[in-house]
Amino acid sequence: MAERLLSKKEVNQAHLLWWLAAETNNSYERLQAPSFCSAVAKNLKKIYGDDTEGYKDALKRHLEFYNTEGTIGAVVVGIVLAMEEEKVKGHLTGDVITGIKLGLMGPIAGIGDTLIWGMIKSILMGIACNFALQGSPIALVFPPLFSILIFVVGRYTCRLGYDLGSEAVPKLLQSGTMNKLITAASILGLFMMGALSASYVTVTTPLSWTIESTGAVISIQSYLDQILPGMLQLAAVFGVYWYFTHKGQNYIKLVLLILVISIVAAFFGILG
Amino acid sequence: MSTFMFAVLSGIIYFLATQRLGYGLTNLMGQPVTLGFILGALLGDPINGLIIGGSINLIYLGVVFTGGNAPSDSALATCIAVPVALQLGLDADTAVTVAVPFGILGAFVDQIRRTSNLIWLHKADKFAELGDEQGIYRCAMLYPTIVAFFIRFIPVFCFNLFGADAVQAILNYLPDFVTTGLSVAGGILPAIGFAIIIMSIGRKELLPYYFMGFFAIKYLGVGTMACAVFGLCIAMVIYFAGNKKGETHNG
Repeated sequence: MAERLLSKKEVNQAHLLWWLAAETNNSYERLQAPSFCSAVAKNLKKIYGDDTEGYKDALKRHLEFYNTEGTIGAVVVGIVLAMEEEKVKGHLTGDVITGIKLGLMGPIAGIGDTLIWGMIKSILMGIACNFALQGSPIALVFPPLFSILIFVVGRYTCRLGYDLGSEAVPKLLQSGTMNKLITAASILGLFMMGALSASYVTVTTPLSWTIESTGAVISIQSYLDQILPGMLQLAAVFGVYWYFTHKGQNYIKLVLLILVISIVAAFFGILG
Repeated sequence: MSTFMFAVLSGIIYFLATQRLGYGLTNLMGQPVTLGFILGALLGDPINGLIIGGSINLIYLGVVFTGGNAPSDSALATCIAVPVALQLGLDADTAVTVAVPFGILGAFVDQIRRTSNLIWLHKADKFAELGDEQGIYRCAMLYPTIVAFFIRFIPVFCFNLFGADAVQAILNYLPDFVTTGLSVAGGILPAIGFAIIIMSIGRKELLPYYFMGFFAIKYLGVGTMACAVFGLCIAMVIYFAGNKKGETHNG
C-alpha cells in the first residue's frame, strides 16, 4: 500500500477516543454520530492539513446518523480514516465514504452484538454468577476481564481497518474464521447456559397427597424427578423461549406474566 | 454509616455503574455481581451483597442493548434491591422480585438521558461548522456525562434515603401466598436470561449442547466450573475439526 499518513500511535488514539465516546452521547436522533466524529476529528485535521473547508465538511460528514457495536465496530473507524486519506488524494468522494460507513454498520453490529455481547459476555458473566451465588469474590474478576477484552479487540480491529482500508471487512468475514468462531462460541455458550439453568432456575411443586391406608406420602416432585430431573426448570426456560419467539420480545409483559402465574400458582399450592 | 451517607454513596455508585465513558467499561462497575459486592461492603455484608447481586445478575445475563436501546437496567435494579434486601433481611429470591420493577424503570431513566443528549448533538453540529474539534469532544463526552450524573444520582439517592421502610411496609401488608408467589417468581425469572441467550444464539441445530450441559449437572452432578471446562473442550474440538476440513463450518 502507498505511503500512509497516520502513525500507529495516531490510529490507536482514534481508537481510544472511539472507545471513550462510543455511548456517551447516544441520542435518538443520530445515535453514535458525535462519538464517531470525536474519534476521527483529530486525525481528520491532520489528513486535511491546510484545507480547512475540507476538514469542516469531513466533520459534518461524520456527524451524520451512525450506530454500530463498539468493539468490532472500531474497524469502521480505521477504515474511514484510510478512506479519508484516499479522498484527499482525490481517489474517491465523500458520498462513497458515507455509503460504505452506513453499509458496514449493520452487519458489524450484528456480529458484535452476537459474539461480544450475546456470547462472550454471557459466558463470562455466567461463570461470574456461579461464583457469586456461592459467595466467592472470585466472581469479581470476570467483569474487568470482559472490559479489557473489549478494549484489546477494539484496538486490534481499528488498526486492521486502517491498514487494510475497505478490504478489512471482507477479510474479517470471508475467511470463515469468524463463522467458526461464532459456532464454537455458540456451543460453549449453550453448554454453559444448560449447566447454569440446571443450577439456578428453581421451580418445584409442593403438591403431594397422603394415602390414608398406609400413611405413605406421594410427592409429585419426586415422581417428576424420576421421569426426567429438572423437567419444570426446562419447562420454565423453554416456556420463556416460546413466549419470546411467538409473542414478541416484550420483556415487561413477560415479567408481569411470570409474576401473575407465580402468585396464582402459589395461591393454589401448585408451586412453592 | 448513616442512611444519608449511604444514600449519597449509592447514588454516586449508580452513576459510575451507568456512565458510558469507555465502551464496555460500564461492565466493570455496572454488573450486579460487582455492584452487589460494593453495596454490601458499604452496609457491612459484602458476601451476602455478592450473593444477591449474583441472583439479580442471572435475570439480565442475556440482555443485549440492540441499537443502543436498554430493555432494562440491571444497575438500577441492583442499587435498589441489594440495600433493601440486606436491610430487611430478605432472601435472594425475594430480592430478585424487588429488583425487577426497578430494572424496568431504569430503561425509562436511560430514555431521559438519551433524549437530553439531543441538546449536545445540535451543539456539536455548530462546532463542526466552526471546525472546532475540542467543542465536539466536549459535546460528545463531557456534557452528556455531567447531565447523566444528575439523572442517575437523584432517583437512587431518594430511594435509598426513604425506600427501605416503604418496601417493608408493603411486604408486611402482603398476604402469605403473595410473598410465596414472589419467591417462586424469583426462582423462575432467571429463565428469562437463559432463554434470551438461547434465542440470540439462534442455532436450533446446536440445542443438544444446551441439554448436554443441563443433564451433566442433573445426572452426573458435576459442578458448573467442570461444565465450563468440558464445554470449552467440546467447542475447541468442533472449531479445530472445522479448520481441518478447510471449509466453513456451519454446524
